[in-house]
Order: sequence, then structure tokens, then C-alpha cells
Amino acid sequence: MSDVDQTRKNYIRALIILVGVILIGRALHLQVLDGSYAELAEATAIEKLTLYPARGLIYDRNRNLLIHNNPVFDLWVTYNQVSKDMDVGAFCELLSIDTTEYKKRLNKDWSDIRYSRSKPFVFLSTISAQTYGAFQERLFEFPGFFVQPRNVRGYPQAHGAHVLGFIREVNASEVENSEGSYQPGDYIGASGLEKAYEDQLKGVKGAQFVLKDNLGRIVGSYKDGSLDTSAVAGTNLITTLDIDLQTYAEKLMVNKIGAVVAIEPATGEILLMASMPTYDPNRLTISRERGQAVQELSQDSLKPFFNRTVMAQYAPGSIFKPVLALIGLEEGAIQPSTSISCPGYYAYNNFTWGCRGHPPTPNVSRAIQYSCNTYFFQTFRRIVDQKSFYEPQVGLDTLVEHLYQFGLGRPLGVDVPWEEEGLVPTSEYYDRKYPREKGGWKSPTILSVGIGQGEIQLTTLQMANMAAIIANRGFYITPHLGKFLVKGDSLLPLASSDPWKVDIRPELFEPVIQGMMSVVEAGTGRAAGIPGISMAGKTGTVENPHGIDHSTFIAFAPAENPEIAIAVYVENAGGGGRYAAPIAGLLIEQFLNKSVHPSKKYLEDWMFQTNLISKP
Amino acid sequence: MTFSLYLAMVGIGWLMIYTVGYSEDYSKGFSHFMFETQVGKQTIWIGIAFAVFLFTYIIDRKFWETFAYPIYGVGLVLLVAVLIFGREIKGATSWFAFGSFTFQPSEFAKFGTALAMAAYLSTYRVNLRQLRHQVLALGLILVPTGLILLQPDAGSALVFLSFLMLMYREGFPANVYILGFTSIVLLLLGFVYPPGQLLLGLGLLGLLALLFGLRKGRLYWLLGWGGLAAGVILFFKPAHLLYFAGGLGGLLLIFSVVNWVKKNTQLATLVLPVVLYGAMLVYVSDFTFHNFLKPHQQDRINVWLNPAKCDRQGSLYNVLQSKMAIGSGGLQGKGFLEGTLTKGNFVPEQSTDFIFCTIGEEQGFVGTFAIIGLFLLLLLRIVTIAERQRSAFAKCYAYGVLGILFVHIVVNIGMTMGLMPIIGIPLPLISKGGSSLLGFTVMIAVLLKLDGSRHRNSV
Repeated sequence: MSDVDQTRKNYIRALIILVGVILIGRALHLQVLDGSYAELAEATAIEKLTLYPARGLIYDRNRNLLIHNNPVFDLWVTYNQVSKDMDVGAFCELLSIDTTEYKKRLNKDWSDIRYSRSKPFVFLSTISAQTYGAFQERLFEFPGFFVQPRNVRGYPQAHGAHVLGFIREVNASEVENSEGSYQPGDYIGASGLEKAYEDQLKGVKGAQFVLKDNLGRIVGSYKDGSLDTSAVAGTNLITTLDIDLQTYAEKLMVNKIGAVVAIEPATGEILLMASMPTYDPNRLTISRERGQAVQELSQDSLKPFFNRTVMAQYAPGSIFKPVLALIGLEEGAIQPSTSISCPGYYAYNNFTWGCRGHPPTPNVSRAIQYSCNTYFFQTFRRIVDQKSFYEPQVGLDTLVEHLYQFGLGRPLGVDVPWEEEGLVPTSEYYDRKYPREKGGWKSPTILSVGIGQGEIQLTTLQMANMAAIIANRGFYITPHLGKFLVKGDSLLPLASSDPWKVDIRPELFEPVIQGMMSVVEAGTGRAAGIPGISMAGKTGTVENPHGIDHSTFIAFAPAENPEIAIAVYVENAGGGGRYAAPIAGLLIEQFLNKSVHPSKKYLEDWMFQTNLISKP
Repeated sequence: MTFSLYLAMVGIGWLMIYTVGYSEDYSKGFSHFMFETQVGKQTIWIGIAFAVFLFTYIIDRKFWETFAYPIYGVGLVLLVAVLIFGREIKGATSWFAFGSFTFQPSEFAKFGTALAMAAYLSTYRVNLRQLRHQVLALGLILVPTGLILLQPDAGSALVFLSFLMLMYREGFPANVYILGFTSIVLLLLGFVYPPGQLLLGLGLLGLLALLFGLRKGRLYWLLGWGGLAAGVILFFKPAHLLYFAGGLGGLLLIFSVVNWVKKNTQLATLVLPVVLYGAMLVYVSDFTFHNFLKPHQQDRINVWLNPAKCDRQGSLYNVLQSKMAIGSGGLQGKGFLEGTLTKGNFVPEQSTDFIFCTIGEEQGFVGTFAIIGLFLLLLLRIVTIAERQRSAFAKCYAYGVLGILFVHIVVNIGMTMGLMPIIGIPLPLISKGGSSLLGFTVMIAVLLKLDGSRHRNSV
């Protein structure tokens, strides 16, 4: 056969080579020049699973468990792996949701960058262990869905909500500010000890890199798990709280507004810290009902979220008098034996402040016992006017310096978030309030501070700490709740035990404490008395321009060798001896004797039953 | 040399099937491995293939030439039989099933057709420049193609177009190829772009051609260029398409007449019909696309030519996964048995049609370059073999085999990299599957036999 088309074999060769070059060029483009396909591939096939650590447990001083972990389950879904033939009815029934909700939860807004059809997202969070049990058996029927176990908090004692605090999901700004340590969906301590010891409690997240197939099934570990890290559980925390005492306080304070704080004076350990009204901390555990609970609590007009022990700043009233007496003695404004006569009122120009009719006050102890206003107005004026009547600034600032040493007017640094500093008015404060060109101010202008009224404001914690300083005869250790971190078998102490000293000569405490003991024995605080236990206390009845007076009481016992110092503040309850003193007395008795004497049961019942809340 | 290329391919294929199936349990003993795993079965097929190779090589070369038509006939009978007795897998009745092994008669038919074409074209009096012979040759191809389309298996049917390469070599007019090629391009463009726009482009091209026909006459130049400019503007802003199409048609006509008057008849008579033919094709393709193609067929074309329009998780999924797998291999690949996408079943049909992904992912560009290079070498080697034959039968047969391999390789590799539409045909010698392996083995064995004895006998 004659071949007429010899050139055609070269065209064919050229075609083969051309196509070969195109194919190689395409491969070069896909594999070497354009990295986008490789990036896409990484994102699809390798998935990082987060392993959540168990959060540290929290115990009270007697090793009672206060917060433990409850397992719940988050149900995740990858949209494009959900089978169209899935039995949606059965699925919804198992999870007790309806099909409308199913659709709503599954069909996200895909234009939102947080969601992708091929990336897993939480379909339903915090499924209880019971629900999960039934669901788990049929999970394999629902491709695309998988379950992630989580730990939420449980509070077996259901008390101490404000101190213990709660955890919740991190918010966007927390994620942003954490430099990568928090990811959306993580939990974070949001208040109380949970917040204060977040770094110790949270533990370290682990990661597991797995290979997934196109149906979202895990087919193996990536690089044989060499990149995986396991989760490290958070550190357990032993606190200074006495949960029995805390519980008792919350019961006594039921249906009342106010705060109770008790401190072990020698160590600064906070034994109880109750803010009322309170709530069951279990209501705020992460669950599907949590949103509802948060809404109810935050809309409550009594503000149950407000931690009144450190955030509420109250005028102390007469419980301020022992401190003023100590400062007056130290500054030489009075002597232990100074006698000031009281006509039943104190008058200066047009100003008159009443005093109750009481026996004469021949010394400072009696003045404290009878809570004589006149005595302390005088003492206050002598301190403020120590340089001269016309230069009250000098005297006031001396007083303020002493008050600062008592931990008043500045935050104590307790390990509970959002502690307020109170208000101790300085000369600068009054110079601003009463400018010189308008006549300025003198000691009589600010007289009410002398009896704990007027501008001065303290937190309940500061009041309790004030009692502890007197109990210690001149020093305190920063009040704290964290006692030990449990590291393996050893306990790491948390708080510093360095004492803060006040510049008051030790011998000056005795007359004041004598007076305070008389308050309980034969004064306004008799309702606090416990047979067989020496107690020093001071009542306060804080004038309330908006309604019924506030009832307050500080105390410590035993007076000679104090084991507990306490402050009780009950809003709108009237006289200090009426509510605050008996509550403090019951708590001290419970703490020291581990029980309340039957003769006191009527008081206890009275407290349990009294409702001082008048809701508008 | 060709045989070593063959061995290399088969070996590479085995390794790749081994790695794809690696998540299967290979430790349950020998018989489990051999009969229950993909790679075990492939091992058996390779054994059979070697035996067949040897057997084929022993048979006398004359056998193939003598029995070319009968073998072709058997192929046709099998194709008819499979429509009746075959097993339906994935919607196509393409398989005979014997237990867990299956056989695809279209593979056999490829070989038979290659023999028959070679026999026919090597007949002394056959000349592909004569219409009668053209029709007969095309008939030889179209009968099995039609039968395979009935299965339906568009991929295998497409392979029979590969004999056009043989026919080209044997003198089929080149113009037909040019016409065919441009027609296909226009059809495909018609699938993707609206016909009005394409028509405009066609008309403008025609106008341009006619303009160049008229080298003189200012008025016409002015008119022509003005029309062109307006056309270009409208091409990008097709607002008053209808008026403009009329105007353009008029201009085309005027210019044709002018050309004709100026004794430029050849150009005028060429341009007008071409434009009209193009216009017809464009409309036909647009109409076909929207009225005759089923949604999944439209999808396939969109995936190929218009990927931006497609759902990444839907119709585009396979191609995207395939490209991702290949792309993730990078320059050097992830290493043998280290592929993550191929191991995770992200890529469909990864031991058969998409086996190139496994190579791309695990061996990287080095691997893909090597495989494409090897195939290139094989193809060029077959051209050389073909051209050194003294027997016209052997030469034609070699070109037939060349075409079949060429189409398989280009379509398969092109498909995995998104250059070709997804057409399910295997990568020769590498993809898993006994029929395909045996088919290519026999084809190559016969080729080598014919080549090995080329000096002994010449027609």
C-alpha cells in the first residue's frame, strides 16, 4: 500500500506530546503552583477534636464537696453528612424536640462565616445523661451527628451561690482577649470562686487529630497520634468556707435582705459569706433551662445576683463606735477613763442629735455599752479638731489614716470578684463638697461620721474584718476563701499569712473590748448572748432616710481568745439588737458549740419565719 | 521496552490499589487477603493477565488477521447478549457476572473492533478518500458504539471515537476533522454561553473575513469598522440585541454581495454558509441543553465547563475532592500509604476510575509527572512500532491500539484534574478491574507479537 500521508504520523506524535504537556502542566498547577486545593484538603480530611478537661472540684474547710462535675453531652452535626433518609421523627422523639425545632437547628444561616455545611457545629447542647443514654443506642442511625461529652457544675449543698459562683460559655470578647487559650464553646468561671480561681480550676484542654472520611466517620488518627495531647484536669480547691455555717446563715437570713460575713480572726479565713436574697446555684449550671433562670433572676427587683457581702456599701452606724474609740484613745483625744456627760441629746448651734436616755458614761467602756452618741460626737470632734477648730483637715486625715489601717475605705483584696472599697471621706472629699469660698467645713459639719452615719460607707466584709482586728487586738490577715490547691497528694497553701498591723497600742483594746462584752451581757446586744461563752459585740441601728432603719451587729467570741468574728447587716429590720444580734449570736453558737441550745430555738424559729421583704 | 512499560504500569497499579484498600484488614490470612480484599482480587487478575499474555504471544500472528472479523463478530454478539443477560450495576447493563468476578464485554469489543478496522483498512483497494469506504469504516465503529450506548455506557462508547486517529493516519480527509473540531467547540460554547452573544461573535468574525476580502473602497471600510465597533460594544452590553442582529445580518449580506460583485466569489460563498452553519449549531446546542439533556447531564457539563455555577457539595463534589486529593500531594506527595483523602474515601471510585488521585496524593507531582511521562513514552513507542511495520494490518492495528490508549489516558487523567468531564473509563493497566486489565493485556500482547515477527512476513 502506498502511503500518501507520511506527514500525518508527525502530527499524531505532536498531538500526543501536546496533550501530555497539557496534562503535566495541569498537574504542576494543581500540585505545586496553586496551594489552594491542598489547603482545602487539609480542612476536610483532618479534624481537630477538642478533649475537654474535668474542671477542678471545690471543697469546704471540712472537705465537704461544694462543687462537682456533672456529665452532659453536646450533640454536634455536620450538615452535609446528614442523611436525607434519616428517621427525623424518631430522632426528635429521642431528644424531645419537634420537627420545626429540628429544622431550625439544622438549617443555619450559611452566609454567616461561623457556619459551614461541611464543618461540625453544635446541634443541641447539654443533653442530660438520661436523654443521652437512650439516644446513644440509636446514634449510628443518624450519620453526621456525633456527641461530645462535657462537664457542667453541680452543687450538692445548694448554698453559697455568690461565693462559689458559676461557669458559663465564653463570650466573643473573652475569646478574643484570651490569645487563643479560649475557643468558642469553652466554659469559663464567671463569678465567685469559679472566676477568682479560673486559671487553676479550668485545667488544660487536650487535642486529638483524626482523619475523617467523606461521611464524617473517623477512620484513624493523624500521624499516629503524634500530635495529640491529652486533657489535664483542673486543680481541686479547698476553701475556708464552713458550708454548714453558710447554710445555717442562709436559713436564718431567709426572706431578709442583707449580708453576713464571718472570719476566723487569727487566720483571715472566711468561714461564711452570705448575701441575701440568694438562689440555688444549681439553677445557673449550664443546661437548657439556664437562660430562663438567668432571665428570672436578673429581672428580680431584689437583685439576687448582687453579692451584698462585697458589693453593697452600707453606712455602718454604731458598730463604728469601737473603732473610733480606739483611734480616740491612740490619738489621746480621750482616755479610757474619760467621762463625758450626756443630757440625752447633742446640740451644736442649730444642730441637735438625740441620744437615748442611758445611765452616765464615766469611761469609754460604758460609752460603748450604752452606745452614747454624745460621747462619740465629742470624741470625733476632739480627733478632728486636734490641731485647731479651724484646721479640721489635719485631724480628719489623721483619722482617715487610722481607718485605712483598719481596712476601711479601700478594697481588702479578698479573692471574690467585684469587691467594693467602701467610702471613708477625707479632707479632700469635704473640701470639694464644702468649698472654702462657700464657708468650708468644720468638725460639726461632718459630725455624723462620728457615729458611723453620714458619708461613711463600708462593705459587710470590711465590718467583719473590723471585728476581727479588734478580736486580734490590732492586726488582721487579708480575708480569703481559697485555702489550699490540691496538687497530687500535697496541699499548696494559697493565702499569704502576713499580718496587717494597726497603730493602736495593744493595751488600749481592753477597755473597748470590755465595753463590747458589756453590750452583749447587759446592753443592746443581749439577744446575741450565749450562756457560758464570752462574747464582744456592738449593735448598730442605721438611720435610713428611705424607710425602716437597718439592723447591724458585729461580734467576736470567745472574747479572750476569739475563734470567730462576724458582721451581720439586715436591711430595713429596725434596731441592731432586734435581728442582727440574734442572728450573729445563733451563728457563733452554732460555730463554737456545733449546736444551738434548746432555749434558743424560739429565736431560731422566729428568724426562720420572719419576712422582712416588702415587695412593691 | 514496551513490555517493561507494561510491567511497570501493572506494578504501579497494584501498589496503588493496595494503598487505597489499606483500611481493609490485610491480616486475616492469605485466603482472606486474596479473595476478600480489592488488592487480593487484583493480584489474581494480574496472574490471569500474565497467563493470557503468554498464551496470546504463543498464537501465530496470522491468526489475528485471519480471524479479525469473526472476533469482531463475537464481540458484537457479546454486546447484544449483555443487554439481555447482563447484570445492572449503577444503572448500566454492562457486566456479565460470575460470582464475585465480573466481565465487561465492551473491553473485548474494543479489541475486536481494533482488529476489524485494521483488517478492513489494510485491504488493498480500500481508500478512505472514497465515500463508500468512509461509510463502511465508520459503520464498523458505529455498530458496537451504538450497542454500548444502549447499556448505556457513554464512557466506553466514547472510546470508539479513538479510531478516528487511525482513520486520520490512513487518509481520512483532514477537513472533516477541522469541521468536526470546530463544530464540537461551537456546540460546547452553545452549552455555556447564551446563543445571542455567540451569534454576534460569529457574525463579527464573518464580517471581519469579508472586510479582508475587500482591500479597497473607503466607504466599505468605514461602514465595516463602524459596524465592528458597535458590535464589540454590544457584545459586552447586549441591550438592543435584536436590532443589532438585524443590522449585522444586513451588513453581512451587503458585504457578501459586494464581494460577489467584485468577483470575490469564493470568500463570499464560504463565509455566509459558515456563519449560518455556526448559528444553527449554536441554537441547536442551546435548545438541546435546555430541552433534551436531563438535569444530571446538564450538571456534568456545567461541572466541566462552568464550575463556578455548581454546588461544591453537590455535583461539583467528586471533581473537587479529586482535585483536592491531587493538589494536596504537593511536589513530593504524602508518601506511600499516607494519603488521607484517598484513605478516607473522600474520592469516589478511587481504585478504579479515580486511581490517579491516589498517585497524585501519595506520590505528589513527582509521581504524576512520572505516570504521565510513562504513558507518553508508551504512546510514542507505539507510534514508532506502528511506523516500522511492513504489514499494513499490523500498522493499522497499532494505530487502533494507540487511539484506544490515548483516549483512555487523556479522558481519565483529564477528568481527575478537572480538564475533562467526568466520564467513567479506567486508566489503562493501572485501574482496578479484570476486564480492563485483560483487554489491554491482550491488545498489547498482540501488538508485541505482530511487531516481534514483522520481518518474517510481509504482505
